[in-house]
Amino acid sequence: MTTPILSRRDFLRRSGVGFGMLGLAGLVGETSALAVGPALTHFAPKAKRVIHFFLNGGPSHVDTFDPKPALLKYAGQVLPNNRITERKTGAAFPSPFKFQRYGQSGIEVSELFEKTAQHIDDIAVIRSMQAEVPNHEPSLMLMNCGDSIQARPSLGAWLTYGLGSENENLPGFLAMCPNGLPIKGSENWQSAFLPGAFQGTYINSQHTAVNKLIDNIRSPHANLQTQSRQLDLLKQLNEKHRQSRSDSRLEARIDSFELAFRMQTAASDAFDVANEPQYIRDLYGNGVHGRQTLIARRLLERGVRMVQLWHGAGQPWDNHENIEVNHRNLAAEIDQPIAALLHDLKQRGMLEDTLVIWGGEFGRTPSVELSGNQSKLGRDHNHYGFTVWMAGGGIKGGTVHGSTDEFGFAAQENPTSIHDLHATILHLMGLNHEKLTYRYAGRDFRLTDVYGQVITPILA
Amino acid sequence: MANLSLYSRLKFGINPTPLAWVVGLVLGFALPLSAKPWALESPVDAPVPVVEGNPWSSQPVDSFVLEKLRAAGLQPSPQADRRTLIRRATFDLTGLPPTPEEVSAFVNDNASDAYARLIDRLLASPHYGEQWARHWLDVARYSDTKGYVYGREENRWVHASAYRDWVVRAFNEDLPYDRFLLLQIAADQLVPERSSDLAAMGFLTVGRRFLGVTHDIIDDRIDVVMRGTQALTVACARCHDHKFDPIPTADYYSLYGVFQSCAEAMVPMGEGENGEVANLVAKNRDLLAKRRGEQMDRTRARLADYLAAQLELEKYPEEVFNQLIDDGDLNPFIVRRWEIYLERQRVGGNPVFTAWHALAKSAPAGYAEVLTRLRSAPASEANPSVLAAFEGTPADMKEVAKRYAEVLKQPEFKAVLEGVDSPCHVPDEHIANIEMYFPTNTIVELWKSQGDVDRSLIEKGDGSTAATILMDRPLAATPRIFKRGNPLTKGEEVPRHFLQAIAGPETKPFAKGSGRLELAQAIASRENPLTARVMVNRVWMHHFGNGLVTTPSDFGKRADAPSHPKLLDWLALRFMESGWSIKQLHRMLMLSQTYQQSSSGENGGRGQQIDPANRLLWRMNPHRLSFEEARDAWLAATGELDLRVGGKPESLFGGKNLRRTLYAYVDRENLPPEMRVFDFANPDLSISQRTETTVPQQALFGMNHPFIAAKAGVLTKDAATMEASGKVRLLYEKLYQRQPTSGELELAQAFISSAAATPAPVVRPSQWTYGYGAWNGETGKLEGFTPLPHFNGSAWQGGDQFPDVGLGWVQLTATGGHPGNDAKHAIVRRWTAPQDGDYQLKSTLIHEPEVGDGIRAFVAHGSRGLLRSTMLHHSKEEIDLPAIAMHKGETLDFIVDIRDGLNSDQFLWAPVITATGSAGTGGDVVGKMWNAEKDFGGDLPTLLSPWQQFAQVLMLANEFMFID
Repeated sequence: MTTPILSRRDFLRRSGVGFGMLGLAGLVGETSALAVGPALTHFAPKAKRVIHFFLNGGPSHVDTFDPKPALLKYAGQVLPNNRITERKTGAAFPSPFKFQRYGQSGIEVSELFEKTAQHIDDIAVIRSMQAEVPNHEPSLMLMNCGDSIQARPSLGAWLTYGLGSENENLPGFLAMCPNGLPIKGSENWQSAFLPGAFQGTYINSQHTAVNKLIDNIRSPHANLQTQSRQLDLLKQLNEKHRQSRSDSRLEARIDSFELAFRMQTAASDAFDVANEPQYIRDLYGNGVHGRQTLIARRLLERGVRMVQLWHGAGQPWDNHENIEVNHRNLAAEIDQPIAALLHDLKQRGMLEDTLVIWGGEFGRTPSVELSGNQSKLGRDHNHYGFTVWMAGGGIKGGTVHGSTDEFGFAAQENPTSIHDLHATILHLMGLNHEKLTYRYAGRDFRLTDVYGQVITPILA
Repeated sequence: MANLSLYSRLKFGINPTPLAWVVGLVLGFALPLSAKPWALESPVDAPVPVVEGNPWSSQPVDSFVLEKLRAAGLQPSPQADRRTLIRRATFDLTGLPPTPEEVSAFVNDNASDAYARLIDRLLASPHYGEQWARHWLDVARYSDTKGYVYGREENRWVHASAYRDWVVRAFNEDLPYDRFLLLQIAADQLVPERSSDLAAMGFLTVGRRFLGVTHDIIDDRIDVVMRGTQALTVACARCHDHKFDPIPTADYYSLYGVFQSCAEAMVPMGEGENGEVANLVAKNRDLLAKRRGEQMDRTRARLADYLAAQLELEKYPEEVFNQLIDDGDLNPFIVRRWEIYLERQRVGGNPVFTAWHALAKSAPAGYAEVLTRLRSAPASEANPSVLAAFEGTPADMKEVAKRYAEVLKQPEFKAVLEGVDSPCHVPDEHIANIEMYFPTNTIVELWKSQGDVDRSLIEKGDGSTAATILMDRPLAATPRIFKRGNPLTKGEEVPRHFLQAIAGPETKPFAKGSGRLELAQAIASRENPLTARVMVNRVWMHHFGNGLVTTPSDFGKRADAPSHPKLLDWLALRFMESGWSIKQLHRMLMLSQTYQQSSSGENGGRGQQIDPANRLLWRMNPHRLSFEEARDAWLAATGELDLRVGGKPESLFGGKNLRRTLYAYVDRENLPPEMRVFDFANPDLSISQRTETTVPQQALFGMNHPFIAAKAGVLTKDAATMEASGKVRLLYEKLYQRQPTSGELELAQAFISSAAATPAPVVRPSQWTYGYGAWNGETGKLEGFTPLPHFNGSAWQGGDQFPDVGLGWVQLTATGGHPGNDAKHAIVRRWTAPQDGDYQLKSTLIHEPEVGDGIRAFVAHGSRGLLRSTMLHHSKEEIDLPAIAMHKGETLDFIVDIRDGLNSDQFLWAPVITATGSAGTGGDVVGKMWNAEKDFGGDLPTLLSPWQQFAQVLMLANEFMFID
């Protein structure tokens, strides 16, 4: 049975005062019920949570999930459909990586993701994605927030706004990136005109200590016993203060301290991978990506709505030069963690309601990048056609949707916009992308603006 | 328009908002059934209601309020007590708490005009302007930075703080609101050069840079002006006619044309720049002139190619994405300028290009015929000098282009190549306006040069010498509608004029320059039905918690009707009559009994039932402190608040920033999480009313942030020698400006005894210090050791932002750290020997990342120099030394630098030092161990004392955060 969506006001009234999701009561002057319940959706959701591997910089589709043998034929020649991108490119550049068929579906995947490929029958590969321009900044914004230039809420902000968090002790939406920020920094997980509480919480996953992972999660000045005594006093003072006043905000603030106190221990636990058995830690691997992926699984398990895993600071996948070496190194860092996550989610029964997304802000050119007519053995940005894949909750595994042309330059069959991708993600989460709106500056804004069609062929 | 009006009438006639109906029925006046939303009708000067048997008040505001309360069967609440009133008024007008002395003076002032004098005193305070400027800065989407920019460009605005300070001054001086708006939109045309009022135009220019995309920069300016001053969501009409309000797309592009006809410029104020800055300005100006000249020459030299490019326009994207362009490439932007130019010549019938257009339409086989026909046309239709160049019939359009390029060199055609509307021309404007004219390497060079000027102004100046303004361009543009907002699908041309919804369908096009001054005048006009109402409503909202209209930046049809329409109009009219005096408006509102009501709602049983949202104002709304107010009030309570007005921004929790929070550095790209968590206005968007959330991150900040703990420390310092009840009294006075009750005294004492019963941890003086310096390989010694200035609770670093603007990536944590950006900023963990003796070192140094070139590390004795060195990359090494002889006070340094390049240089290294005592002199420390990880900490007290714990609780209590 489907639950009809309530108005925002009703929704706010019943919303929990959790990390991701609170105090909205205060926003409209309603009394908040301190409950975190099942999310209200437009129809029955297939997925309850999202994990997004963001290969920032732009992974090459023709070297990973979109084989193009025709490039070999044209090696050394300028492609008949060479297009304008950010920089000049020259002749066709055949992939230096071997492709092979995997699984029952027999979908071809390159050696870069040979471990992930073992799960190809759980994966739907969309080979016909299109963005708007071949530049990082607008494409990051488009992929994350649905608009290239203007300040708009990110997908994760929309999801937590629409669905709340299922764990009031943790942020509803986290973005993890080792060792710094991706290009455009926190704009990638911004809340824009949605209340600030929906902004993604950035975690520098380079760190291992929990007090470095979440702001103010521990006091350097008082232990829990001291704090507990302080909060007792605070509560007494606040209760006395409240007696002669009527304002629901006073209660909400009293509750927020209780919640914060509990959060200090709950969050520490969620981020501590030492609590995982050794064989699980081995499964994910010892590197920073293994650890961050394992933390992400612990967070998802605890009810976090969306976790975005960025590859690294800046734009690591932006391999204008020597793509053979660079892509190989980068893929080696995440192939095992991704495969481990898919395996681990499955063995826990979580894959069926967890949506796993893989992709960058665009793909790369099938032609070689030139620097003053010299080949750099790398590829330029390509927004005309690229690959994103999804697995898990509600996805028909072992599917290929759409295609690029013979050489992989542009989407050909079933061109798929980022808005379509967003509409599909919301759909899987039980939300109608045309009805999830927020009134700002006189307009009811959507993640998908006035666009977006659910990609039905990849739905289970 | 016609359809829209009909639609509007239907909407309004059939489906008014429920509250509007209630208002209409209760008060017995008819809702206007016109096509216009109420806000577009002129304000009506209704007589002040006479409410029978009104013992409450003689203030007009109160009569309007009471009339509606009576109609709903409600009574106002009693007047608040004196202490509440002074706290309420002081926070409201200055954003600060009153001092305990001010409270007691007011409470004991029995004169009948004591309250009125209080309001006057507060309005005269220089801090009044700071508080009310912040409200306006929310609307103005103020930020000290531009948001994301490409690496070549400085991301801080040079003029932001000058604009902020101008707004503060404007409020303090009670600058008439109409003038306030005129200057913010068109000061360039109203004040002399170098006037400090030019700073006002920051209103238009402190928005995001949007990566230089003109359409979005203009959209942002339209939005901030239209929602900010008119409460109209004009930006909705970017893609289609406004769905609810009478704003056609044509009107959006009318305003678009105004801003399209303006260029951004950085201009000096006052004495302007001097010294180094002036030199850089001159250097930058000369470089820009040189590059402009070269670019114009380059375009002229490539004339044949630019003309030939017109035949394969598909190769040159019209909406230029960021495409790297070499000197030798045709610039797609200039190709498209030629396209527009040629089209304009065709439409205007310029005889010079008749042949071009005619030949372009024809196949080469028909050229001869076309040329013959043209030769018989009069010179006014086909230029004979041009035709002379086509004596021999050209083979194809490429050749046509070549011949044109040749013939246009003749002096007769100078205007084509050198006029200001020539596609070869590069306007003499700030690089922000003209970067698309240049090849990529020149763009980078010009931005870097501009960046030198900017940085010099920001870092060396005091922020008051430069303004960023808009200036009208010599040729105003006639805008074209972009269908569905898409600049690639251009629709009809529209004249530049004011909104038809206000000026009427017969409105005349703007006549002067871009029309921006006329736009400003149409807004700052007594004839404008919105301007005064919108501002009155904003001021009302900040006093009462909610606006009379609850959507202060949207007075369109979708907004709720005003709760008190007659009052809103009455106030708007009095506001304009007062000469647009905002201070008079404050007086009118604050002297009312409505404002002075109690907020407790204690006897509000009926009010709670009928009007729980308190729209009819049967009580005052309590006010929760904003982030700025809370931080300022904490600093005021400790007595540390630095009350200097104006100046450069400072990092929020960096260094020793004790200034008002208004002056915290607002980086829209990287807003401090504390500000975001406490609902600070998003600096990317014009914010009319901040959201108010209650989230546990706020509580975590209060419980765990070092700032709060430090303030609790300062608060209890003065009371150190006082007896217990005296301490409690002092804290209550400082934080709440009142005395504790006997119950509160008892609670306090019980808390202190219980906390004191817990044994205090032993705090040992640390042997570790944390700093940076340079390794000298030749002497084998560390040079220039400097302690790191900032501890954030878990790391020592350059400031509260990481990396720090000045010190970069230098950082030390309990277990490791990161070297600074260059060899001069090696990171240093220093240990100082407490006694003479021998010491043993055990440690593991780890460098994890594969990328980059790794790090260099040294262990050095303060006087003897290098003991051990290594280079590490994606590896680890045990660094142990069995016996180091040290004298008391000598240092042992653990030094790491970046090696050759700054890339992934973070490391783990937490040495453990043990006293072995073999030298025989360090007997009392033998066996003692110093563990870098366990000993790690900041300057702050390791644990709060019972009194500090108590002070912290008072700082966090609701009584502190909510003003009755």
